[in-house]
Amino acid sequence: MSPRRATSGGRIDRLRTIRFTFDGKAFTGHAGDTLASALLANGVTLFGRSFKYHRPRGVLTAGIDEPNALVTVLRGDAREPNVPATTVEIYDGLVAESQNRFPSLKWDVSAVNQLAGKLISAGFYYKTFMGPAIGPLKGTRFWMLCEHFIRRAAGLGRAGRAADPSRYERMNAFCDVLVVGSGPAGLMAAATAADKGARVIVAELDARLGGSANWSGEAIDGMPAAEWAAGLAEGLKSHPNIRVLPRTTVWGFYDGNTLAALERVTDHKEHPGKGEPRHRHWVIRTKKVVLATGAMERPLIFPGNDRPGVMLANAARRYANEFGVLAGSKVALFTNNDSAYHAAVALQKAGTSIAAIIDVRPNVSDAMRNLASDTGAQIHTGHAVVATEGSTALTGIKIQRFDSTNGVLSGESRTIQADCLLMSGGWSPTIHLASQAGAKARWDNELQAFLPPEPTQSWIGAGAFNGSFSTTEAIAEGHVAGLAAAGGKAAANDDLPVADAVAGDPAPAAVFEIRADGKGFVDFQHDVTAEDVRLAHREGFVSVEHLKRYTTLGMATDQGKISNIPGLAIMAAALGKPIPEVGTTRFRPPFAPVSVGSLAAERYGDIRPERLTPMHDWHVEHGATMYAAGLWHRPMIYGHAGETIEQAYVREARTTRETAGIVDVSTLGKIAVQGPDAAEFLDRVYTNMFSTLAVGKARYGLMLREDGIAMDDGTTWRLGKNDFLMTTTTANAGKVMQHLEYFLDMIWPDLKVTLTSVTDQWAGAAIGGPQARAILASCVKGTPVDNTALPFMGIVHGKIADVPVMVCRLSFSGEMAFEVYCGADYGTHVWQALIDAGKPFGLVPYGLEALGTMRIEKGHVTGAEIDGRTTARDLHLDWMLSTRKPFIGSAMMDRNGLASPDRLQLVGLLSLDNRPFNGGAHIEEELDEQNPHGSIGHITAACYSPALGRYIALALVNGGKARHGSRAFVSDPLRKRFGPVQIVSHHFYDPEGSRMHG
Amino acid sequence: MAERLSPLEPVLRPGSHGQFEDGVGVVLSEVAPGSIVQLAAWPGQEKAVIAAIKKVTGLALPDGGVANGQKAAFGFAPAKFMVMDEAESLSEALTKAVSPETGTVTDLSHGRTAIRISGPKAGWVLAKFFAIDFSLVAFPIGAGRSTVHHDIFAQIQRSAVDQFDVYVFRSFARSFWHALCRASEEVGYEVR
Amino acid sequence: MLITCPYCGPRDVSEFTYQGDGNRERPAPASQNLDAWNEYVYDRLNPAGDHNEVWQHSGGCRSHLKVVRNTLTHEISSVVFARGHVPHRSPTKRGSKA
Repeated sequence: MSPRRATSGGRIDRLRTIRFTFDGKAFTGHAGDTLASALLANGVTLFGRSFKYHRPRGVLTAGIDEPNALVTVLRGDAREPNVPATTVEIYDGLVAESQNRFPSLKWDVSAVNQLAGKLISAGFYYKTFMGPAIGPLKGTRFWMLCEHFIRRAAGLGRAGRAADPSRYERMNAFCDVLVVGSGPAGLMAAATAADKGARVIVAELDARLGGSANWSGEAIDGMPAAEWAAGLAEGLKSHPNIRVLPRTTVWGFYDGNTLAALERVTDHKEHPGKGEPRHRHWVIRTKKVVLATGAMERPLIFPGNDRPGVMLANAARRYANEFGVLAGSKVALFTNNDSAYHAAVALQKAGTSIAAIIDVRPNVSDAMRNLASDTGAQIHTGHAVVATEGSTALTGIKIQRFDSTNGVLSGESRTIQADCLLMSGGWSPTIHLASQAGAKARWDNELQAFLPPEPTQSWIGAGAFNGSFSTTEAIAEGHVAGLAAAGGKAAANDDLPVADAVAGDPAPAAVFEIRADGKGFVDFQHDVTAEDVRLAHREGFVSVEHLKRYTTLGMATDQGKISNIPGLAIMAAALGKPIPEVGTTRFRPPFAPVSVGSLAAERYGDIRPERLTPMHDWHVEHGATMYAAGLWHRPMIYGHAGETIEQAYVREARTTRETAGIVDVSTLGKIAVQGPDAAEFLDRVYTNMFSTLAVGKARYGLMLREDGIAMDDGTTWRLGKNDFLMTTTTANAGKVMQHLEYFLDMIWPDLKVTLTSVTDQWAGAAIGGPQARAILASCVKGTPVDNTALPFMGIVHGKIADVPVMVCRLSFSGEMAFEVYCGADYGTHVWQALIDAGKPFGLVPYGLEALGTMRIEKGHVTGAEIDGRTTARDLHLDWMLSTRKPFIGSAMMDRNGLASPDRLQLVGLLSLDNRPFNGGAHIEEELDEQNPHGSIGHITAACYSPALGRYIALALVNGGKARHGSRAFVSDPLRKRFGPVQIVSHHFYDPEGSRMHG
Repeated sequence: MAERLSPLEPVLRPGSHGQFEDGVGVVLSEVAPGSIVQLAAWPGQEKAVIAAIKKVTGLALPDGGVANGQKAAFGFAPAKFMVMDEAESLSEALTKAVSPETGTVTDLSHGRTAIRISGPKAGWVLAKFFAIDFSLVAFPIGAGRSTVHHDIFAQIQRSAVDQFDVYVFRSFARSFWHALCRASEEVGYEVR
Repeated sequence: MLITCPYCGPRDVSEFTYQGDGNRERPAPASQNLDAWNEYVYDRLNPAGDHNEVWQHSGGCRSHLKVVRNTLTHEISSVVFARGHVPHRSPTKRGSKA
């Protein structure tokens, strides 16, 4: 039998032995143990080293509030640091390590920091490392020198470098009542609300439902509380209206009664089930919330209160009653309230000898005296602990007479031998979620605690959360809360379970700190002492918000759970003000640490969905290198063996200009604009006229934003009197749709127009080049495609390989070109038919690079030039600005600043040193490689032009039009590309358009 | 006429997958209706459009929507409806029945992909993606919902107690299918 | 935050796109009053308290909504269709016949 395992009792399964390792050493525990309870059962008392001083630390609590026993859990190569050992359920094969120690937990070299304690007190970092560099050992530069060593020495666990292979998921849930916490109050609330017909979710952060019933040792309705709770919990699990979420921490309370919770689905499993996520991020939208989150016991602040072996009294009670683990063999208790007496009884019953109970209060009730005498403990009323003895384990304590009204110690100190000291500084209701939800907490002077604020959203509190600390009260309040949440009312004659317990006084003495020589810790996790709080006060950091930031009190995983009230009390005493006047910090989400993976959820490792065109598989099968353009995946090149990217696109572009090429343009945004007012609508949104467009014709259109800046361009086809097909650039499809919808809904609701995204309805292929028409003529049935039937910007309907198609003659490449559209499900069929028809003519498929090359040669603009800063004039598109009608942006586009001749204007660039350009490179009038300056613009797109046989680019250059023919320099210091360029017109190739007009 | 090629066909793996040893939680399949058509009514013409749907399909569109196995219809936005048919020529028939003074008809037969998810865990799996309430009280049979999962717009119709038909943009269909399969692994799934 | 779309019912804010201050008035299309245009395009109210806002249910029915939201509490006191003539019906209500 383990040295500290009680011979019987607890909610663990003693028949199941679990094997795990801690710091490489093998241990055993039982199913139902936490890592903390299992290690304690094995006699381990040293769990970690503290943050700043590397002081040895044991385990302080039995739950999520644990500040000391933070460990790293390893799964394969993945490490999860800073997990409270009190929340880790052990499983066969669990591997855990202690943290912040080198070389080992027992012998830690940085423990020497304890001697330098004065040097690294509150504000150490600010004082030493901030501000101007005066002298070598001060200021920000000194920080840069020291950072590496400090980061290594201070802090908690180390994050792993290996990728986390776990799966994470999000779950959206809706309910009528969310019950947070499953102690007696939560269980009652859930059962009552569900019986009333409400849809209920119960979230419990522990594995076992029942909360305090699991460890109170009380009886409810004549049976052990734990059995009562287990019975009720079973009922909830099988209730059709209830979803029970164990191992689920509700960590955020947001607007509209939306709560965030983290379910640890597989952390306790040796082998997660197939497809099971490690964590599930629940987003729960509920009509009402019942907060039954209980209360947390507070420590007392006295010198040496952090020594391993010092533990919260009711944490030890929980270890004894719930896990059958004894916190010590000879135990002393130190308290300012009655709850420690119940802890003493629990430990004594479990087999521990109780050496003494030290109570700061001058008198205690007879009921508590009786409890104490049952345990055989000696009571020292009006006394306080002033020191603890031992090194990595407690050996004894020193006590002294203490006056709780003024904090004065008197008389000789004496030593009591004990290997465990249990302390209780009163209870703080766990009001974090209520605080997140909005209102300020209110101080209760009798309970010496912040109680929940008046509800600001639809939540109802129950039990210890309300400061109602007895089980009978919790049951009654849970019942009332459950009824109220489900829209009912409690009746006086409701027959409720009653707890059988020796009633204690819930009010503690107003004692938080014993001031004696030595470090008394307020925030154990950050090594913030009572003296640090006073130092902050002396240095003027009197606001609680400043105190928190200056001392780090209550930061990180603690979030004020352990340190909040003692820290405030000490600051209040220093200020000479009552606690409520000092105030408390507002609790913010998360209540407890949340895995980042759970927030990424199903997107973890897979950031974006892929949008695929109908011909995607064909491209991949035919050697295309795919390229992610936004969400779309598009062929970049169809490379041949041994070709570079440049060789491939040059070949594709050259072949297109010499014979014919075909490109997948299915990604173009397509919006059906339908209705009797469709033409009028288009006149208002485009800068040019569309009402004059004949049916069966297409027109190039430009849209501006309201502020007169260019927004998007594309062709719009008139398919019928009331039926237009608008195309947008691939990247802007969503933005243009929203823009149009806004105007239709908000500005012109009287127009009868329907807008529908039909991007995915159509597969599109653009086929261009001198042979394009011949290829089409050979495969299109049902319509001629000659110049008469299909003039420039004309549309015909026919069939290719039995499939109906629309063919529009328009050109992006500058060649004689056609866009062929068909139903997307026929896309590959028609594409293959075009490829087959083109074989005798030498047709090649081409990708984005060749597409870009040909459009740069033609000087066509895309999103790189329509960049949200350029106007139609900047892009030489002023010929499209109709003067016959107002349109979106027409009023604002003529403002002085937008019409100025020295704006950035679109130009072409020729490389004069026969070297390639890069997008983003600056253009300068004078070259100064050492000190580049005086940018007059930048390159927006660049390529090798097979048509011109040289490297060219499009650029936006100050007053660019006036610079045609002049020389400048490309200056790209990051990529070390400098050299001469010639500024020319952006129409590099066939400026008259003779090729596309045929 | 040529065969229509679904974006899902090349990636469908019929059979049971994931943790199915204790039975499958969901069945995933592609519905592949011949026609998916969107109708929009001008203000005050909603009843006329509903009447046209009834005339062409025989579907009496009640307050939410209706699905009968071969045909389905539901409202997805104010005065807007989706109508589905196993047959291919629905768009032409509806265009004849809805005059320009009444509203518009838009053929989306190729533009949307319909994925059916059925089984006791259908709501559970869909709730991983969509922030809407899949309980029967909040989402009755026949009703439709417009919602979104990050970039993926979806229109969802509950076609039976444990069955939902999810209409997504065709280009996203394969990505969404993979995500759906992955999300279904823990409950075990069958692809049909 | 939840916004109750008059058609779709309460939905998560992530389904909506904020489309700006709902107090703006667009000048007549042909207006040459640059001050009025300037005010419409650039000026925004920034009240501490109730604010008239325009939201689009872009991840749902795509309707534009006029929303009155308290910028201090996030409380939403009113949501109506921006297009006044659209019938206000939520699907949850559509299940029951009046």
